[in-house]
Amino acid sequence: MELRRYILKRLVQITIIFFVILTVLFLLFRLAPGDPVSRMVDPDMTPEDAEQLIHQLGLDKPLGIQYLVYLKNFFTGHFGISFHYGEPVVDVIWNRLPNTILLFTTSIILSALVGIFLGKIASWHKGEKTDSVMTIGALVTHTLFLPWLALILIWVFGYKLGWFPINGMISEEVWLDPDAGFIAKGLDIGYHMILPLTTLFLIHFGAYLLIMRSSMLETLKEDYILTARAKGLEEKDIRDRHAAPNAALPVVTSVGLSLAFSINGGALTETVFTWPGIGRELVFSVSQNDYPLAQASFLLIAIVVLISNLVVDVLYAYLDPRIRY
Amino acid sequence: MAEETFRTETKGMERYPGLTAFLEGWGIFRQSLLGKIGLVLLIMFALMALCSYIPPLIDPMYNPMTGVDPVITCSTGPSRAHWLGTDFMGRDILSQLLAGARVAFMVGVSAAFMSIVLGTAIGMTAGYMGRFMDTFLMRLADMIMVMPTLLVVLILAAVFGQLNIWTIVLIIALFRWPGVSRIIRGQTLSLKQRPFIEAAKVAGASHVRIIFRHIMPNVLPLAFLFMTFRVTSAIIIEAALAFLGFGDPGTVSWGMMLQWVWKTGHMFKAPYWLLPPGICISLITLSFYMLGRAMDEVLDPRLRKEDQTD
Amino acid sequence: MALLEVEDLCIDYKTKNGYLKAVDGVSFSLERGASLGFVGESGCGKTTIGMGLMGMLPPNGVVRRGRILFEGEDLLRVSAEEMRRVRWRKIAMIFQAAMNALNPVQRVGEQVAEAMLVHNPSLGKEKALKAVEELFELVGLQTDRIRDYPHQYSGGMKQRAIIAMSLACRPSLIIADEPTTALDVIVQDQILAEIRALQKEFNIGIIFISHDISIVADMCHDIGIMYAGQLVEYGPREDVFDSPAHPYTRALLSSFPTLTGKRTDLVPIAGETPDLVHPPEGCRFYDRCQEQIPACREKVSRWVAISPGHKALCCRCEMDGR
Repeated sequence: MELRRYILKRLVQITIIFFVILTVLFLLFRLAPGDPVSRMVDPDMTPEDAEQLIHQLGLDKPLGIQYLVYLKNFFTGHFGISFHYGEPVVDVIWNRLPNTILLFTTSIILSALVGIFLGKIASWHKGEKTDSVMTIGALVTHTLFLPWLALILIWVFGYKLGWFPINGMISEEVWLDPDAGFIAKGLDIGYHMILPLTTLFLIHFGAYLLIMRSSMLETLKEDYILTARAKGLEEKDIRDRHAAPNAALPVVTSVGLSLAFSINGGALTETVFTWPGIGRELVFSVSQNDYPLAQASFLLIAIVVLISNLVVDVLYAYLDPRIRY
Repeated sequence: MAEETFRTETKGMERYPGLTAFLEGWGIFRQSLLGKIGLVLLIMFALMALCSYIPPLIDPMYNPMTGVDPVITCSTGPSRAHWLGTDFMGRDILSQLLAGARVAFMVGVSAAFMSIVLGTAIGMTAGYMGRFMDTFLMRLADMIMVMPTLLVVLILAAVFGQLNIWTIVLIIALFRWPGVSRIIRGQTLSLKQRPFIEAAKVAGASHVRIIFRHIMPNVLPLAFLFMTFRVTSAIIIEAALAFLGFGDPGTVSWGMMLQWVWKTGHMFKAPYWLLPPGICISLITLSFYMLGRAMDEVLDPRLRKEDQTD
Repeated sequence: MALLEVEDLCIDYKTKNGYLKAVDGVSFSLERGASLGFVGESGCGKTTIGMGLMGMLPPNGVVRRGRILFEGEDLLRVSAEEMRRVRWRKIAMIFQAAMNALNPVQRVGEQVAEAMLVHNPSLGKEKALKAVEELFELVGLQTDRIRDYPHQYSGGMKQRAIIAMSLACRPSLIIADEPTTALDVIVQDQILAEIRALQKEFNIGIIFISHDISIVADMCHDIGIMYAGQLVEYGPREDVFDSPAHPYTRALLSSFPTLTGKRTDLVPIAGETPDLVHPPEGCRFYDRCQEQIPACREKVSRWVAISPGHKALCCRCEMDGR
């Protein structure tokens, strides 16, 4: 099937991009001014431990060999020891990964779906008040400065009104309670997620709304819309069954293109809400000069971005038969 | 009727379709409400940036970075001496806000300018040279496009330590050219087919001469119209970086101000300090964005048609 | 009772400069199972007539005057909801092949089935798809292509699919707007033969809209020549071709040496169509007419009967007493 070839092709492209990133990162950490050893090995380590780690990372070898060791370590999951946590970097970020994925995917899916839905409605009321309110609202929320919006939400809903927790992902009293079941814990996470999710949602849905709106207006001029109308379909069905599926395609493309933007926002949100994800870990590690952790977090984020790109591509192919067949 | 005269005026300019497009575009832009609001807001911010030079002249305590009100040792609300209040060290928030406007323009415009120049050069090269060069440059563009710029700057800050404002601007520019280069490449590809390029080729003009004499004047107006979007992203990235504590410690940017509110724990008690910088960043982004949308209308003939039907 | 009777139909488009009279005082009638062709250059209003009959004028289009009696009912007086029910069930449309008339993200079979299900929801999807199979066979499409998407079809196949779709509800009238434009000549002939055969089989009235006079000559009993929003000549095919009365018709015909022979490109008639926002008082063809006389300019042209059923809107014909 064509779809398989398409995915394979994208997979190859993504692998190449990833290798380039991997290599650039390697060169950056080894060749930047300063001592590479001090960047990869915690200065507070005992000399014996440090020796062992230097050997494991290949820092005592020539650059070419170092690179091979680096690749081998990457594929076997050895990123060195975090300066701050004193444990293998891989353990630190591995725990953070699901948290980031949870917040990131939920926010993207939610904002894309709501954006598509509202954009459809706005286009249907083109030139009316509903349309103006939605368009202006989308423009304004989309251009809000994300960390500031997060602080405002915390201030209003967390501090003034006290409705939602303002940091972290879990409450200790729920998780330490032996009677708390899976559902209670899930609800607790959901409760903590409301404000971070709202922040990301407010920033993102506007862009999708605006794209969907103009895409809808464009699609409604297509000839097959005329056919649908001639067939005697009700306007609602013309909009939902014929216009919307076609109009949503550019939105999916733009979700893919804005993934980098979304992950930036994700890192900022995680940081402000102390959500234990990789983005926050990256910010934190950079501020603590925890180089091994910073490097690994960045790589992992790159992987997340690339894989989400692939997912979006596959979704697009699924929605547009012209690519699938 | 006005359109009619406009057309006759621009006759004889077929050799510069880019310029013609620019003039026509301005005509359309003037009709866009969003564009006009954006422009007014921007002029307001520009005035703020200009005014930023005034407070330090009145009294050294109004210096946004180093000036401290001698009688104030903690953050205070708006007063006669400090219209927007002071920060935790007794520095004047209004002066900081004005200085922030200057930094925002500086960062936004210079980063956008650099990325546009870079994007135009790369787009023209890719479009004009074609073949391997085209594939290579566009793959590179694809790759850079998927990179989250903020996090890239962060990782560079991790390796190189504290970055000063110009380094930040440079990095942003280096990572923000792919969008422009794609558009310029498309434009170059279509220009390549025009008779006057063919004529220049036949006349024996070199590639460099064709690119600079014949293609560049035609794509440049388009490139600069796209600058607005780049300005926005540069401002946001710098602000976010400063907010996270990795900004240039020698400049007072709005992001920096938010970082101070946040880190000193004033976000719950000093709304006079929390609100202004955030509103400014958001509004300047909004105004460039509105300007950009108006430009989009100018550049995308399909959007234009939509407006002509009613 | 005629299947369709259109009287004095006037359709305007609202533009920045005023009302553009796209269709001005057009009258014609069509018997059940008969066919009528409209010929004219682009912008003469022929497509607007089709859209007007379907009740699908663009938002800026208004019917200023006239009656559209279809099976005895004035379609201009029925509600939007009733009109929706008339569409496709009674009057179907075959769109241009060049047009992107099929939804690219839906399977062709489903799009055809949808036409049935809209008007007969109780049919059920399965039965509808069964019926689609029959339709596909009828128009000469392989039934295993039902689950394909439009981009997997060739131009001719798409056109056949659209014809199949038009037959979905067994309408009594089909409006075919440039159904074969952009198809190559062989496919074009096949499609036209197909339409003719189906028309006969199901006794469908067809209104054929084309800029290509030879196609219309091939297909239709009656022919209407349109110019600048007006019907300028109307009559049985033989009469119009053998003794064209209006100078515009003659100009059109002169570019086709023989009806059945090789087609040549339409030789453009010098000059431009008049401004339809402020149409001239007299004959609209005056500026381009080879046979103009001063009277054409001032006098409002009137219909002149040339022979029974054959008439022309021309001042000179009136003078000549033809």
